[in-house]
Amino acid sequence: MILRIFASYACWFLVITTLFAGAPAGSGPVLSLQLSFTHLMGQQPLVRNQATYTNASGETFTISRFRYFLSNFSLETSDGSVVTLPPAYFLVDDAIDSSKNIRLDSIPAGTYKSIRFLIGVDSIRNVSGVQSGALAVETGMFWTWNSGYIMAQIEGHSPAVNTPMQEFLFHCGGYKSKDGVLKYVTLPLPEPLTVPAERQPQINLTANVEKWFLPDTVSFKKITVIMAPGVKARQVAGNYQHMFNITGISN
Amino acid sequence: MNQRALYIIGTFCLLLALVQAGTKKRITKGPEPFLLQLPAHFPRPVYDFTRNPLTKPGVALGRFMFYDYRLSQDSTVSCGFCHQQFAAFGHFDHALAHGVAGQQGIRSVPVLFNMIWQKAFMWDGGVNHLELQALTPLTDHNEMAVDLKELMQKMQADPQYRKMFKAAFGTEEITSERMFKAFTQFVATMVSAGSKYDSVMLKIPGVAFTAEENAGYTVFRDKCAACHKEPLFTDLTYRSNGLPYLPALNDVGRMKITGNTDDNLHFKVPSLRNILKSAPYMHDGRFFDIFQVFDFYDHGVKVTPTTDPLVKQGIKLSGQEKRQLYFFLNTLTDHTFINNAALSEVRIE
Repeated sequence: MILRIFASYACWFLVITTLFAGAPAGSGPVLSLQLSFTHLMGQQPLVRNQATYTNASGETFTISRFRYFLSNFSLETSDGSVVTLPPAYFLVDDAIDSSKNIRLDSIPAGTYKSIRFLIGVDSIRNVSGVQSGALAVETGMFWTWNSGYIMAQIEGHSPAVNTPMQEFLFHCGGYKSKDGVLKYVTLPLPEPLTVPAERQPQINLTANVEKWFLPDTVSFKKITVIMAPGVKARQVAGNYQHMFNITGISN
Repeated sequence: MNQRALYIIGTFCLLLALVQAGTKKRITKGPEPFLLQLPAHFPRPVYDFTRNPLTKPGVALGRFMFYDYRLSQDSTVSCGFCHQQFAAFGHFDHALAHGVAGQQGIRSVPVLFNMIWQKAFMWDGGVNHLELQALTPLTDHNEMAVDLKELMQKMQADPQYRKMFKAAFGTEEITSERMFKAFTQFVATMVSAGSKYDSVMLKIPGVAFTAEENAGYTVFRDKCAACHKEPLFTDLTYRSNGLPYLPALNDVGRMKITGNTDDNLHFKVPSLRNILKSAPYMHDGRFFDIFQVFDFYDHGVKVTPTTDPLVKQGIKLSGQEKRQLYFFLNTLTDHTFINNAALSEVRIE
């Protein structure tokens, strides 16, 4: 009798495990959201190498490179709860148009009122060994001699720089608390954003390079090269954390 | 009847489950694992193998790349060019590391063994993970000076590399992540724990220190072991041992990494294992003979504000103690490691 009961239970167990062993996990619709970035210098679209700009210290300059990491996205729903999105890392490069459109996946259907993200790569990924995708080291956004990601970077030329190439290089990084430049940005959406099943909504953002030089005024005479974590990187990161703006959404 | 049906269904399900288990096993069957023997008298390794389990083709790929001079900018310098097995993977007779196009760095080539027990790498601990260690010599303009993107393309175009990456990682795709993981797998197998000292500690029958080695061990424990801690023979800390600063090299050591003036002239405490095989000594290779090192500790220490308190007074060593210490250090030479055929140079055609 006991054996028979055991056998029937074992049978059901086997039936159930056999049926479920091959089933894929998570079968709901996978919703996504597009972020589209436009790069500006002040009010104008950023033009690398060609256009000459003037910073808050009155120094003229050109920009040859503009890159930054974005990660650790979360969304705030209209009722105030926070949805943390699965880990995703993006390297946005002004020279690569496709990098300026990023897709956030695994978004629950709902209505959202703000978006939050990190400029840079969280400290955990800075200490966890070799990475892949956007975080692969051959992008050059990683310091080899003092391990850690360059979170954001601008390079360019200015007559104010007193070196033969007149080049300035701002490579801002640092994940340890003392020299950390990790900046979270929270941006309220101009109107509620609905993520439905049938289409992919889009948020249009701008990243304004002019903000790198203010409010803590940067002069190329004082800061020419940043290639290590430290005070200068923190100063510039304190400025560039304000560079993002949402210009509109398309539901 | 009902019972019989139950039994039949049960048997059928069991069969189904077994078949599925069988197919799964076949699907997930990856490359053959590499079993790494860890010494019983060592602590747990720091490196997390769950991220990068050792496999035979993975280790073989790492070894092949380690000895492939084509990984440098001008195909002249391999990892093994500077890290020579007979010198415990240090650079025999070279004070400072040199690389492509006659470039020279400011530090000596560190030995490579027992790396899976290290928390940070390089003389200043600037590299925070074993997987990223090889990135520095590969790209440094004083060493292999290669452009990683170009290297990936070059390797992807090579049929043998495609084959080896497929064997190690399942597909022919060559990525920097896979490359560095394969390097790590090979370097992880460089375990040196088979010296006479180890045999004595493990009480292997018939092995014992001679009277002089034993006296040297006493001197070592008395005067050296605080920093060169057993069984790794380093406590993995960064200290200034009072080595006089050389303006020509202007090497501030760990201060460059931490930005903290307390770390000025601090360098990683090196292991004493295989020390008699890995001259020259110190971070800048200034001493070519171990007796120069003894003499330095005896009367050459130059005290600065960051000099370690343990060496501020110097470490007095009599002629007899130096000799005994030499004999003890000789027991730290691991001949099985230096002659291990599994680590030796492979021919690159």
